[in-house]
Amino acid sequence: MIEFSHVYKNYDKNYVLRDLNFTVNKGEFIFITGRSGAGKTTTLKMLLALESPTHGAVKFLGTEIQNLKPRDIPFLRRKLGFVFQDFKLLPNRTVFQNVALGLEVSGIFGNVIIKNVSEILKAVELYTKKDEFPLSLSGGEQQRVAIARALVHNPPVLLADEPTGNLDEETSQIIIDIIKSFNNKGTTVMLATHDKNLINMGRARVIDITKS
Amino acid sequence: MISRRVNYFTNYFKIAALNIKSNISGNAFAFLIMSFSFFIMLFFLLCYINIYNYMSTFQKSNVMIVFLKNNAKKDNVLNFIGKLNGVKNAVYYSDKSSMNFLEKRVKRLKSVLKNMNPDNLPAFIKINFKKNAVSSIFLSNIYLRLKSLKGVKLVYYNKMLQNRIVQFMFFTKVVGFILFLFLFILSIFISYSAIKLVILRKQSEIEILKLIGATNSYIRIPMFIEGEIGTVLSFLVSIMLLFAIYKIFIFYKFDSFLEFFRIKIIFLNPQQIAVVFLIAVISGIAGTYLSSKRFF
Repeated sequence: MIEFSHVYKNYDKNYVLRDLNFTVNKGEFIFITGRSGAGKTTTLKMLLALESPTHGAVKFLGTEIQNLKPRDIPFLRRKLGFVFQDFKLLPNRTVFQNVALGLEVSGIFGNVIIKNVSEILKAVELYTKKDEFPLSLSGGEQQRVAIARALVHNPPVLLADEPTGNLDEETSQIIIDIIKSFNNKGTTVMLATHDKNLINMGRARVIDITKS
Repeated sequence: MISRRVNYFTNYFKIAALNIKSNISGNAFAFLIMSFSFFIMLFFLLCYINIYNYMSTFQKSNVMIVFLKNNAKKDNVLNFIGKLNGVKNAVYYSDKSSMNFLEKRVKRLKSVLKNMNPDNLPAFIKINFKKNAVSSIFLSNIYLRLKSLKGVKLVYYNKMLQNRIVQFMFFTKVVGFILFLFLFILSIFISYSAIKLVILRKQSEIEILKLIGATNSYIRIPMFIEGEIGTVLSFLVSIMLLFAIYKIFIFYKFDSFLEFFRIKIIFLNPQQIAVVFLIAVISGIAGTYLSSKRFF
């Protein structure tokens, strides 16, 4: 499903990634780990076409991402759910509206939005807070909203970049459990973290890119 | 397919409304700046139109005086004049009625005529022209034709005044065009700056939307709608404000002193308002395009 082959990334003479090779199969849960600055975020950004490799190829569902035309990039991103450390929610929209965005950008409107958003908010146990604004929620709740937004359109892959970086251990466990539950339903998950405890919680394949 | 597009469009309006609602202060500030810009443009246009109309009326009220020789056959001359295109009427004044004509013209300064012998005054014909026919070339042409006519001693019209008015009107046109162009560019710049203030606050929102798969048009169209709503509202407020000022001006007869100069203040006609509205719409689109360009 996802394939990194001989991927190099450098900024001027500073190499962030050297000969990175790995594949991710459908339905897998993998941790991308490594020290700070090792290139975990860069790896995920390459899948979102926010960065392109200096050498090598990044493939998603058989398509080389670096060869995509700019106008095709939004359609790639709709096949990926992305969760950020800082949640990236729109403060002027309610929980429901934030989650609905994931569908609206794909051209889905009306009753489908109401049905799908309600379902996913129930799955992350935030349905009762659907009319609240993000800033009135706790960090854990905001991250659950971000997960709901990333998965509301049912993408085959969820990418998460330090999703528990701003959360305490107990809340991190809740977030990992939620992500795991979606993984059990078939969503492929790539989670970048440097947190050893989180990796132990997840009990999944680990790719240490420090070695690349 | 059509319902999908309608859904998209409805959604764009919803997003634009949401964006306006969530940034009331920023939008209000931009709205005030744009209203001021359009008001200045409309006010300038109102002044310009009135000056131009006044000069135009003044130019078109030009008359021509044809002095006749002593033995001239006035009917021949009057017939000739009557056949000329653009002549409204021609009135003959005999040498006897010339004094009455002069007295009427000078009114209170009549005393200067007291030592004048009426017998020395010539007979003449006063020609009034149709307003839409008068131009500098037209008057020169008539002048040359009448001058060479048998029985005509002298043809007089205020050529210098006519030329001056034409020159002034040309100057007014050029200056007006340059100023209007300047105000047009200024309105684009003001709209650009005002909309930019609103859009800059959306920087993180735009980044988030892009990350979750929004296309450029999905992000940009609500921005254009938002920009245009602000522009149209600003235009409406500025035209209503100008109209209110105009009405107050007329109602309290502030224009009465202008009547002395035969100046009548008129308001902009629908076509002129439509031109400024079009400029407002263009400046809104250009302002949004320029200020959002950096994100795409």
